[in-house]
Amino acid sequence: MSYTIADEPHETSLGAYVVNPSAPLLASMMCGAWMTWPWFAFNAIAMGSPTKKKELTLCAIALGGTVLLGWLALALVDAGWIPLGTPFKLAMLGISTWKLALAYYISTVQSRTFHVYEYYGGTVRAAGAIIGTGFWIKGIVFALSDDPLWIIIVSGGL
Amino acid sequence: MEDRQIEVLIEQANVQRGLANWRGAIDLLQRALSLDPDHAQAHATLALALLGARRLPGAGIEARMALALDGNDSYCHYAAAHVMYAERKLDDAWSHCLVAIETDSHDADTHVLGAAIRDLRGETTEARELLETALELEPGHTGALTKLARMELEARNHEAAAGYAEQALRSSPSDNDAHIAAGLIDLARGDHASAEGHARFALGQDSTDHDAIHLWAAIKAHRSPVLGLWWRFHMFVSMRTEAGELGLLIGSFVVVEILTILAGHFDLDRVKSILDWGWLGFCAYTWFAPELFKRMLANDLGTVVLDPEF
Repeated sequence: MSYTIADEPHETSLGAYVVNPSAPLLASMMCGAWMTWPWFAFNAIAMGSPTKKKELTLCAIALGGTVLLGWLALALVDAGWIPLGTPFKLAMLGISTWKLALAYYISTVQSRTFHVYEYYGGTVRAAGAIIGTGFWIKGIVFALSDDPLWIIIVSGGL
Repeated sequence: MEDRQIEVLIEQANVQRGLANWRGAIDLLQRALSLDPDHAQAHATLALALLGARRLPGAGIEARMALALDGNDSYCHYAAAHVMYAERKLDDAWSHCLVAIETDSHDADTHVLGAAIRDLRGETTEARELLETALELEPGHTGALTKLARMELEARNHEAAAGYAEQALRSSPSDNDAHIAAGLIDLARGDHASAEGHARFALGQDSTDHDAIHLWAAIKAHRSPVLGLWWRFHMFVSMRTEAGELGLLIGSFVVVEILTILAGHFDLDRVKSILDWGWLGFCAYTWFAPELFKRMLANDLGTVVLDPEF
């Protein structure tokens, strides 16, 4: 049996669906977080990433953190601490920054494994059509609920 | 018998490393470690091969494993110092390098590595002393001469830098690092044709050599102002650690967004519009420029043919 190096991804049956980690990052800007976190998580599993646990944990932190920040921002608005208008926009900017920073960080972590995955000749799927579809249906996803917290959670980093 | 087999595999792997055939070296070392997973030297050599293949996380794990298996071996400390230097953990890298130097004070390579670490810590005098020691141990050591050439280039002493690069190339005419240093010096002096010759030579030997690709890209960037701007931006960003890079990019986003919100608050519609379009243009440019750049390089690399007269 050959010695396995710790950074090597293991083979999975989902290998044909692996995309470059910059695709979910782009989706965070064009389509919304509803697409980004699940896509990063799926990509980690499909790639057989040795850092899968870390990547999945980061996705969970990103989602949990967004829910918490969104809930806090709305609670402060209800309490009158954050008036609507410029202060509210600045609060939303804080949440967008959180999402973008996490998306960028997960993309960096996943890129390390992706580099090795490509090194061993792993197949990579083009992601343009998926992002295009995500961009097209994001309105439907946003309209699933009119709760402002829902919009904060599923909207994009930009 | 098994030990001898492992030693032969390590020797063969080192030959492959010398030829920049990282994959071949890694395969051989994986075979060696299948025979004995606790062989410290095999782990250390694997760390160096993985570093050559730019697989830093794997290299880090292997180097630390080698140290855990044999903390007294100078080669294990040398490999650990190399990996930690690449990880930019300069204090740890230097302490391991120092152990390697103290254990085996006649190894010129370890002194050159020490010089690289101390130079990056801003200790140029100490770095030069280490390089001088390396040259005393092994006169004409290509790595030491190349490092001196790069240090003189950074200090903008182009003539001195060219002198060292020339000595390095005389000492080892096919050394990639020496060609890259000579190419960078020529580029700084405005001799693009000669710089391109060195880049072609280096890429002809190893088309995956990251520094050679950087030199090639820098030459192209000098010729195309639009892509050159992106290249300079890329170099400015990539000089930082991952956290620094993240901070810089997210920080820029936050600053622009705050300015946009404030412009809206004070009804400065024109300023808001300029900021919006400027940011969109910046995003589009930094997204598409690397793709254009990569395609241009891929086209060029497909046509790299070694000039027999060079």
